[in-house]
Amino acid sequence: MTNTEIRPVGPEPARTRRNRRTGQTRKASESTAATTIRTRGTRLLAVLFLAPTVVGIVVFTVVPIAGSVVLSLFQWDVIDDPRWAGAANYREILTDSTVLVSFRNTLVFMVLAVALQLLIALVLAIAVNGRMPKWLRSVFRSAFFFPLVLSAASISVVMKYLFNQDFGPVNWLLGTVGIPSVPWLTSENGAMAAVVLAYVWQQFGFSFLLFVGGLNNIPKEVHEAASLDGASGVRKHLAITLPLLSPTLLVASVVGIINALQVFEQPYVLTAGGPGDSTRTVVMVIYETAFEQLRFGEASAVGVLLFALIMAVTALQFRLSRRYVHYQ
Amino acid sequence: MTDSLLSRRALMRYGAYGAGAAALAGVAAEWDRLTAADIPGRDDGSLVIATLGSAFNPEAQRALRDGFREVHPDIRIRINPVQAYDWSDFFSKILTQIAAGTAPDLVYVATEGVQLFAQRLGVPLDRWAKRDAAELRSYFADVHPSLVESMMYEGSLYQLPVEFNAADMYLNSRVLERAGADLPDDDWTHDDFTTLLRAMKRSNGDRFTPYFWTNRLWGGVVPWLFANGTNLLTESKAPGGDWLWNSFYPEAQRRGRGGGYRWTTPLADSDRVAEVYDYLSSLIQEDLCTRPEGGDGRNLVGVFSTGRVGVTPAGGFWAGGLHEAGMKPADYDVRYFPRRRTRRHQFGAAGYAMLRTSKLRDEAWEFIKYTARKDVMTQLFAANQTTPARRSMVDEARYRETGPAHWQVFYDTLDKIPTTGPIPAPPQVNEVEQLLIKHTGTALASPGAVRPALRRLQGDLEKAMEREV
Repeated sequence: MTNTEIRPVGPEPARTRRNRRTGQTRKASESTAATTIRTRGTRLLAVLFLAPTVVGIVVFTVVPIAGSVVLSLFQWDVIDDPRWAGAANYREILTDSTVLVSFRNTLVFMVLAVALQLLIALVLAIAVNGRMPKWLRSVFRSAFFFPLVLSAASISVVMKYLFNQDFGPVNWLLGTVGIPSVPWLTSENGAMAAVVLAYVWQQFGFSFLLFVGGLNNIPKEVHEAASLDGASGVRKHLAITLPLLSPTLLVASVVGIINALQVFEQPYVLTAGGPGDSTRTVVMVIYETAFEQLRFGEASAVGVLLFALIMAVTALQFRLSRRYVHYQ
Repeated sequence: MTDSLLSRRALMRYGAYGAGAAALAGVAAEWDRLTAADIPGRDDGSLVIATLGSAFNPEAQRALRDGFREVHPDIRIRINPVQAYDWSDFFSKILTQIAAGTAPDLVYVATEGVQLFAQRLGVPLDRWAKRDAAELRSYFADVHPSLVESMMYEGSLYQLPVEFNAADMYLNSRVLERAGADLPDDDWTHDDFTTLLRAMKRSNGDRFTPYFWTNRLWGGVVPWLFANGTNLLTESKAPGGDWLWNSFYPEAQRRGRGGGYRWTTPLADSDRVAEVYDYLSSLIQEDLCTRPEGGDGRNLVGVFSTGRVGVTPAGGFWAGGLHEAGMKPADYDVRYFPRRRTRRHQFGAAGYAMLRTSKLRDEAWEFIKYTARKDVMTQLFAANQTTPARRSMVDEARYRETGPAHWQVFYDTLDKIPTTGPIPAPPQVNEVEQLLIKHTGTALASPGAVRPALRRLQGDLEKAMEREV
């Protein structure tokens, strides 16, 4: 006999249980699942299943984060032993204009890239989910997902050629319709636009797949009922699709924002952070400070600030999601 | 609402387990930790030589390794070609190897990193060079003293240069022909240069860029600064080094030599530097010149060889590159950089630096000497991917297949223009280079941006130079 309790399916007797902390009572049926899991064997099994993931998270996430926090309090150049610096690294980076500009750039990039990425992915997902032959739908799905499996660095090298002001095909194409040469990589706005476009082109496939999955989960009957009521296509998407897709939108935006805040390859290869500092991102500053200037303590301090920013933005998203996300 | 899966007591218990595990981890951290050096085969007693991956092709690397083994069968060597985008990237990877406990014994280092390595990681070669003076005499007789001086730091020699590249000017013959222009004189000026670019622009259409340059320390704005009699940082020479000059160079060649370069106070906001930026800005405004960030060296070979660019600064390394891109010797030629206040050129050189962490120093020195031999350098540089540091190797036979017709310019940049010197590369070079690239982009972004950008460059350079590396 196992320790796991098997309970009969169906309505339970109205037993009550007293909460030790609040003194309130509630029906035992509410805590059936938890009570079942509490049995020793199930708990052991749960621990065993979770252990590899927990160990992985501790070793590859928690320890490096803790290491960065500790390192941010030292001066270290790899070659000599670390020297205690206390808060000096934080003082240094908070008065460094390059670091501050990089945070601004990263936030601007995040807003532009995530908004564009979600919009493109959503529109394409709705389009692909519409009426079309199955084979064509597969072609589109593969084509939109394909850039995601390519290396960001190699995509950026290609983009650098495409966006070249003097010899790039993009400006050549624009020239054929009479649009003058655009300084994509050599003007502040052009460079940010090029970096965002390169990033979105590669990343939107992930959100696209999420949205396709989310759209498939929306019952057809709801749309049919709305059609019978005379709702237009746009109205149906605004009043039905978007609210029912909101949990998927939340996931896509959380993942999208976390990724966008850590952008590195595209600006590093495309513009090297320029012109000036206009496309220098936080992760670029971390890389340059650590590996080019050998100031690992300050780089860690920037990393800790970025970590705090990501945590704050993610927490804010979940907080807002209580109001805007609708679960069926 | 559901119950919490963990009671307070359980939480305390797991907390205690966690604390215990952390304590154990702390104790474990005190033990000798494993490093990359513990990986079987990593530390097998071989002399490890880190080269910039693209510097030598695999065939050349094999020849280097096999040839050295024949001469020194008792020394095991392992060549570690490190792939990197540029020297800065290469140094970062070497430093990572050092941090991982797998420091190589020798590192191929260019001018950009000579002082950084010398100050922090390098071993001076003085005692070995003095000991083997007789053996080295033919090498120094064949190598220009400027190249050797660029490998010295505070009176000591840290590398034997095996290659160098000075920033001369490459011209596309087809573009010149379309412009109805001849190859410029040896002594051409900035004005001649501008006139030539205008002629090229007129005869080659809208989708053509007369002058193409990249935004880097080597070959970017620096050769223009040199030609205008200025530099990014104040230049002086360290005392010392007499032991080398007196031993290996005749009186005429050792005059004015010192113990290596010192680059100190930034000069970015000086009038002469501003003149250079104003000039480059005017070329951009007139559409005679690409913006500095417009591309990199890899784009450059393609656009030059297909006639979309007329002129660009490059070293002897381009002879090999253009040949590979399909250009015939007559399709292009080379001239000195156009003069302004001076004819001074910039160069960068490279050789092997010995690391302090090496336990095989005598063996490492044998390898350094071996790579400086003419027969070895001939094998290594067969494809004209660089200019050999030995004068006797820069001859007609070498350039017969690749061109250019005026190949003499490469070594004459040192021999006939004695003021030619290395790019400014203090120990803080990585930050200096980064700042130069960043602010050059801003300075040339729009008319009127030059002076504010140079003031910011000056401030940032001062801060970087004050920082201890």
